[in-house]
Amino acid sequence: MGDIRLSLLPRDVLSAAKELLYHLDIYICNLVQSGMQPPQVDAKTLELVEEFILHAPKDRNAPVRRMSALQELQLLEIMCSCFQEQSRDTVRQLMFSALFSLQGDQADESRMSLLGKLVSMAVAVGRVPILECAATWLQRTHRVYCVRLAQVLVDDYCSMVPGSVPTLQNIHSASPRFCCQFITAVTTLYDLTSEELTPPLELLQMIVSWIQDDPRLVLITFLNSPLSGNQPISSLDVTPLGGLVRWCVKAPLAYMREKQLALTNGSTESEPEAGTLFSALHLSVLQVFMLLPNILNEKGLFGRLALLQMESLAALTSDLSRLLDQADKHTHTSSTGTHALSQLALDRLAQALQVAMANGALLCSREDLRAICSRLPHNNLLQLVLSGPVMYYNNIHTPPLAFSPHAAHSPIASHPAHTPHTPLATHPSPHPQYPTQSYMTGMPFPFRPSH
Amino acid sequence: MSAQKDCEFLVKRARELVSDDPCAAKAWLITARTLYPADFNIQYEMYIIERNAERTSAAGMRVYDMFINFPDQPIVWREISVITAALRSDSQDKHAQFLRGLFETLPGRVQCEMLLKATEQCFNTLEKAEMLLLLLKRFPESVVQHGVNLGETLLEAEVSENVETPVNCFRKLFVCDVLPLVINNMDMRLPASLLQKYMLKAAEFYIGYVTRGPSPDVQIQASQDGGSLKSPSMSRGSQRYVIDGLSEKSSMVAEPWERLLDILAVIGARCEWQGDKGQRSYVDMLQRVKELCRYLPGLEGDTRARCCSQVVICAALVLFRSAFLYVSAVQPSLFQGVNALSLGPWILVEDLCSVYSDAELERGALKHGHKKRKLADGREKTMSSDDEEGLGKGRGRHILVNKTEMPSWSETLESFRVARDSWDLLHSHDGLETEFKKICASWKTDSWLWFRIFLTDMIIYQGQYHKALSSLHQMAAVHQSQLGQQSPSGPASLEHHRALIQQASCHYALGEYRMACEKLLDVVGGLVPPVQEPTKMPEDQGRVKTRTRKGNDLRLLPCTSKAVLPFCLQLMLACFKLRAFTDNRDDLSLGHVVVLLQYDWPQGEMLFLKAVDKICQQGSFQYENFFNYVTNIDMLEEFAYLRTPEGGRIQLELLPNQGMLIKHHTVTRGITKGVKEDFRLAMERQVSRCGENLLSVLHRFCINEKIIIIQSLP
Repeated sequence: MGDIRLSLLPRDVLSAAKELLYHLDIYICNLVQSGMQPPQVDAKTLELVEEFILHAPKDRNAPVRRMSALQELQLLEIMCSCFQEQSRDTVRQLMFSALFSLQGDQADESRMSLLGKLVSMAVAVGRVPILECAATWLQRTHRVYCVRLAQVLVDDYCSMVPGSVPTLQNIHSASPRFCCQFITAVTTLYDLTSEELTPPLELLQMIVSWIQDDPRLVLITFLNSPLSGNQPISSLDVTPLGGLVRWCVKAPLAYMREKQLALTNGSTESEPEAGTLFSALHLSVLQVFMLLPNILNEKGLFGRLALLQMESLAALTSDLSRLLDQADKHTHTSSTGTHALSQLALDRLAQALQVAMANGALLCSREDLRAICSRLPHNNLLQLVLSGPVMYYNNIHTPPLAFSPHAAHSPIASHPAHTPHTPLATHPSPHPQYPTQSYMTGMPFPFRPSH
Repeated sequence: MSAQKDCEFLVKRARELVSDDPCAAKAWLITARTLYPADFNIQYEMYIIERNAERTSAAGMRVYDMFINFPDQPIVWREISVITAALRSDSQDKHAQFLRGLFETLPGRVQCEMLLKATEQCFNTLEKAEMLLLLLKRFPESVVQHGVNLGETLLEAEVSENVETPVNCFRKLFVCDVLPLVINNMDMRLPASLLQKYMLKAAEFYIGYVTRGPSPDVQIQASQDGGSLKSPSMSRGSQRYVIDGLSEKSSMVAEPWERLLDILAVIGARCEWQGDKGQRSYVDMLQRVKELCRYLPGLEGDTRARCCSQVVICAALVLFRSAFLYVSAVQPSLFQGVNALSLGPWILVEDLCSVYSDAELERGALKHGHKKRKLADGREKTMSSDDEEGLGKGRGRHILVNKTEMPSWSETLESFRVARDSWDLLHSHDGLETEFKKICASWKTDSWLWFRIFLTDMIIYQGQYHKALSSLHQMAAVHQSQLGQQSPSGPASLEHHRALIQQASCHYALGEYRMACEKLLDVVGGLVPPVQEPTKMPEDQGRVKTRTRKGNDLRLLPCTSKAVLPFCLQLMLACFKLRAFTDNRDDLSLGHVVVLLQYDWPQGEMLFLKAVDKICQQGSFQYENFFNYVTNIDMLEEFAYLRTPEGGRIQLELLPNQGMLIKHHTVTRGITKGVKEDFRLAMERQVSRCGENLLSVLHRFCINEKIIIIQSLP
């Protein structure tokens, strides 16, 4: 295909790009037809793409060719229809990756820029094939770039043009795969560490409504991936669950911070609304966890694949611990509001850990959990989750699930001072307002006799 | 720390949160459930949250979980019974609808198990049956296992609960709900005898339902309204009907006759009846079994028995339906839900339109018959071939009816005819009659007042007046016992009149004039004469044509004062006419005839002239009530003329005690002059009375002269 370069050179930028797309389409069709496995676009062709579509200078001497904004728009339209008209999925995927797979060279910036514009346009005019290709791209590309693409869409649809959110909302029905990847990218992008990295309310509302409508949406990529483990390292998580858990757990503290800022700035906007949204989102996440056992069993992956990674949870708990510290320091007078929000964060963490673990999304022992939660202040539910359920179960209505030889040694009897539901512990605490988890004090943790 | 404490803590937290942040509450419970999957209270709390928020599918999932995980929890059963109660009820309130929707979200298998278990826990037969019925309706495959048992349970419940009527809640469920499921289930093979038993149970129910009497409150209303049956409140009231134990909605049975026909069609097909195809209507059905009957004598064994059953069941249903249609037109007040727009009741009586015609010519033969009968009077009651001569009238008698007053006259008469046909068919073979009598005995048709009304009318039609009279007496007894509980006035007295008039008509037809008049005068005593002279009915024009008919026609007479008084007068006239014109002199009867001929003048002009002829022949006439009751100017003129020389100087003794006066005056000359003066004065006074309301005069005549009138008949 290299021989067409000479015919492209004399043309103007737009018609050269057009001509190249045309030849690329034919070339890839032939490639697929030839049955070569795997079909590989040769380096020569990739160079042509860089030169005539992305306009990366071939060498220092060559003149820099640029497109006007209008020409670029026309090119995007041509690309859109090119993908729309190609009926074969493999051809489209190969073409998309020939155009936008990052090569680690100078042209990557142009690639990202053009990709952002193309996907944004595809969202606007509902070009499903492009969204589907972009979904695949989001699975294969380094998360840093995925986040950049998500940022473009959030900027275009949530920040720049007011009232354009409904357009973005539609991707949920147009391409659920893309929508799922978009959520993962967005939750990766916004980690709630600063005001800038707090998701805009419109985005949050949109994501909550998507997941409420269809909780399985967040599992689409996972359900469609043939096998786990062949994800490129440093790509996005296979589900947004980790990111969503992080959002919900950190939200009370992040918004507490915002609230304090707002109080000093004299405005209190939309805080309660965000609270409700996160509460709903958190419930949805738990409900998604509840769906997992069936799905994992069907795939034969139960107990073999962790959708939540211990490392990211460890990062979350240490983040949380730091945030709680900060909250302590900033609120000089101990306000009940702050306390409640801190407890809410810990409640949600405990709930997410428990439900994830019980449903096979998190593969670890309670011992592991205790390790990563060791620095957190006391919370009744967390304490209960970290200790695990009492195995001797003497509900009057139902027979005990299992007989426990240790039943006689209930934690109350052996460790009367450390009942998990006592709000105030007797130990000195690193957080003056909160009792710490009792196992931090160097004493053995009074977890219940298990099994 | 015990597990139970943990669970209590978790549930408590969820409860605290539910009002402000339901999502958080649910998150707590989900967590709690993963910690303690076997704890009931956690799952129950989850259900409560969804139920209180009326989220149908979420609540359904929770019920499902509880049903699977805690099948022995009493609280679960309480909830399930609330849900199944909502399914059985027809309540439209929001919560009941939510519960019904919730049930629909459950998987069929669970619904089935739930209903079965709920049924097991039910101790009330009716509730249990309703529950099982829900199951059968939803899961047709369960009909095979439970259908017949449920049916039998319901039929047994009728017996054990001592219900008084076949229209009861158990029978309703059996007939309307269970039976269609059972007979339409092609996987079941039921013996023909059982199917026929069920058929009769269904028929008894539907007939009982259709012919049910108005509910007491409606009747009170009716008597207060004084018979203004067209008032909307009345028609609304007549819709209200509740079968004890059922709701108003489930007490309603739409199109009962059609549904009975449906069941008959299915059972007929399953019993392999002959020519069961296309049994579209009751009339077709009668035609079919009539034809079938012709082959009956040639059949034997099972075929004959099957054929017999088919004929008897079909003909009986046609009979009861047609009889009902007839009686509902003739006696609408007997039934609830029958459109009472037509004026009722109507009385089937002898037609008297020939009463003004020349007596001897047409009545002669009959009168002769009486004389014979009179001789046989002693044996009369034991005669088995009662009314032999009447039997000849049993075919092709005309029934006259005022077509404007009864718009549905042709349907009514047709129903009467079809009912008689069915009756005749059922009595055309011994085998059929035996079968039919069995049905009647088990249904206790003897106690059906409405059916007795039909039977009586049928017997009258057949001319079996003695039988008719005894039937009327029985009916009066039944009626009286029924009326004992109800208001004694109003429609009740109308009913009483109806029976008396019919008795009078029968006595008349038998030639028992004295009895006839006794009954009539009892009726007239209770009537209030119309304030205004009745305007002539269109019917009266028709009379000219019908006059040529033989005297054995019948008439449907509306049972109103307006129609009854004239009829009574005509019937009395008919009774006296024969006596008045015999060769023997009977001035009293002749006088009565003259008085009665005033009504409907000049219809009776010919008879009046005949009376005048008789008086002329006699040369004298004594009737002391003349000036009390004769106000007709034509008659007065005629009598005035009779005294004149031109008129023949007839000696008229028309003043009270005049006879004695004359005897007294004959001693003294010139006294007759005084008598003449009295007569002249009386005549003059009488002329001034011509404007008096004739019906009032005649009514007074009936009441004041009751004893004389009756005594003047042998």
